[in-house]
Amino acid sequence: MELYITGTGIVSCAGNSGDADFLKESQSYDTDRLLCVEPNYTAYIPPMQLRRMSKAVRIGIGASKMCMASAGIEKPDAISVGTAMGCLTDTEVFLNKMITQEEQMLTPTAFIQSTHNTVSGQIALLAGCYGHNLTFVQRGHSFEHAVINTQLYLSDNPHQQMLVGGIDELTDGSVEALKIGGINRKENSTPADVLNGNTQGAVAGEGAAFFIMTDDKPIKPAVCIKDVYAFTEKDIVTAAQKLTAYVNSQSLNIDAVLLGQSGDEKSNAFYESLRSGIFSNKPQYIFKHLCGEYATASAFALGILSNAITKGEALPSHCALNNEAVALKNVLLVNHYMHYYSCWVLQVA
Amino acid sequence: MKQVAYIVNTGIITAIGNDTAACLDALLHGRTGVSKAEYLKTHWSEEFPVAEVKASNKALATIAGVDAKWPRTAILSAIAVKEAWQPFAEKLRGLKVGFFSATTVGGMDLTENVYKAFKEDSSSVDFNSIKNHECGAITELVANHFGINDFVTTISTACSSSANSIMMAAQMIGNGMLDVAIAGGADSLSKFTLNGFNTLMILDKQACQPFDNNRRGLNLGEGAGYLLLMSEKAMQQCGATASCVVSGYANANDAYHQTASSPDGTGNKLAMGNALKVANLLPADINYINLHGTGTANNDSSEGKAIEVLFDGKVPASSSTKAYTGHTLGAAAGVEAVFSVLSIKEGIVYPNLRWETQMEDVSFKPVTELKTRLDIRHVLSNSFGFGGNCSSLVFSKCLVWNCI
Repeated sequence: MELYITGTGIVSCAGNSGDADFLKESQSYDTDRLLCVEPNYTAYIPPMQLRRMSKAVRIGIGASKMCMASAGIEKPDAISVGTAMGCLTDTEVFLNKMITQEEQMLTPTAFIQSTHNTVSGQIALLAGCYGHNLTFVQRGHSFEHAVINTQLYLSDNPHQQMLVGGIDELTDGSVEALKIGGINRKENSTPADVLNGNTQGAVAGEGAAFFIMTDDKPIKPAVCIKDVYAFTEKDIVTAAQKLTAYVNSQSLNIDAVLLGQSGDEKSNAFYESLRSGIFSNKPQYIFKHLCGEYATASAFALGILSNAITKGEALPSHCALNNEAVALKNVLLVNHYMHYYSCWVLQVA
Repeated sequence: MKQVAYIVNTGIITAIGNDTAACLDALLHGRTGVSKAEYLKTHWSEEFPVAEVKASNKALATIAGVDAKWPRTAILSAIAVKEAWQPFAEKLRGLKVGFFSATTVGGMDLTENVYKAFKEDSSSVDFNSIKNHECGAITELVANHFGINDFVTTISTACSSSANSIMMAAQMIGNGMLDVAIAGGADSLSKFTLNGFNTLMILDKQACQPFDNNRRGLNLGEGAGYLLLMSEKAMQQCGATASCVVSGYANANDAYHQTASSPDGTGNKLAMGNALKVANLLPADINYINLHGTGTANNDSSEGKAIEVLFDGKVPASSSTKAYTGHTLGAAAGVEAVFSVLSIKEGIVYPNLRWETQMEDVSFKPVTELKTRLDIRHVLSNSFGFGGNCSSLVFSKCLVWNCI
């Protein structure tokens, strides 16, 4: 089923989709982790509730509210969220207290907010949304599966508007674990490192990107998700072959490709083979120099495109690897995280 | 035309048994799994009884044929998946197979033992203890072990998690995206969840009494439960038979409170009502309701009231099986899906153990004695959780459904 994006909300390390100058300039940094630049939430979240929210909940609610505002709706009919790690800060707060206080005198707030479905539940609660509500936690496919679930829901319940998001937050503990796991780089990175692709691991990132998706073609130009091809593969070379075969099978007239190149040397080999292979004469763009590497970063990438289309803008120049796209009609988004891959066939309709 | 998702086999492990036959035997003989924690090391072991699978990770890993260093949730998952999957593993060539699991704790049972040391000096800790912390890592370990890779996902919607994995699996078989699916969930006990539920003051210091007026709270449990679902095409290819189908499903949100149910069970009513609609059934068609019935004051009251309204006072035979298995959280709907299938296959309704006193705000009484030799055609199974997540499933007997 084809899904149309009619609203977009992003809270990211590169700013927020509500800002007038969002993505206009590239950032400069020299760090091991890119953390969200959080918006002023007063327009979105009541102050009493904001005080109790940890970062994951704040950025999730903030992005979902921006998204609904951009779609011009107060509440969605259904909600589907992808998060690989869930609400890590609250998990660690409760865990830490449980251990240091030897299971004594604990309070419930952090535990309540530690569950993986906290963000989707809080959105429903604040918006009064009684509809279908799911949270997917499948590592590098968490957001992809939230979108596949949207296809399933809308094919059973057509003409509805579904809020779909990808969200993950970083903590000191998770950055450390992801460094040991080889996903994130132990040393600091600069935007040039993401471009060069010769580091061990990538700069850590986080963010929340939400969308309103529907099966009805809107009047205004919108990004249409034609297909999502998600697969896992341990071997980089085989992964590139699978992806190439898939793209060839689609017989597309590609205007631009959006690549999740992260700076990591091993992952870079995958993108490099596509860049010099099937995408060799196509305008190529990257996005992880903005958001860093995290499991649901494909949501951020989809957000960059739909944000640009909604605002009638081109993709940011600082994302272009070679020549910039003349038109933005057919765009492919390719993402790789650990052994998780996805290829999104997108069309501006 | 939607494909029917046939239930071809089941796999389960809980405190009352290591497989479907053992669990059925315990259900038939009224044996509870609630007792003192022996394997979960916690300050609260004398205070709060739990429904624990009485075996070490090592012993369980031997049953599953997996690495004993896996998180306990993954080991429990592998045991239940193995039971459902093994008879058909060699017969599914060329078919598209999915694995839909659910968990709320992931690898927390290992993480919580090394977290402090990891924070102080990460190099002092064996990374294997935390590398499978993520919920998705649990599913991935099990999927890889059984070689399932066409579609692998994990859902985490608190206590309703595995109802949603069964729902999505039925949908993907329904529209032809998959031919075969293993769907359900797994959760092990952990100090994290026990202490978390203790802060909410909803743990019972005695064995729980769901739907009793004097109920005091829930007992946490652990386990895994999965259904093996197949399309008609897949069943023909591997010569399988089915006794029932997933006929209805619905997911709704209560949108009332992060952890509490609304007093009149708004989300509960929506989930049950919509699941009946999907199954194209009327409330009067339901022969048995496997209640969410946790034993907390709040859940049983909201669920009971929602049922009374939806069934217009004519409530079918109902019982909670959590007095046997404890509340297995992310595994609960998978475990209770297996019990629902057994209810249809065996023609039985389980007693709501330890029930003594009629609830004041709900007029119906759960079944308190084992009922046998019944014609159970349609079972409604409820699972409601934190975050307002409410899901209901309907299982129907093949003879009354459009079966082969």
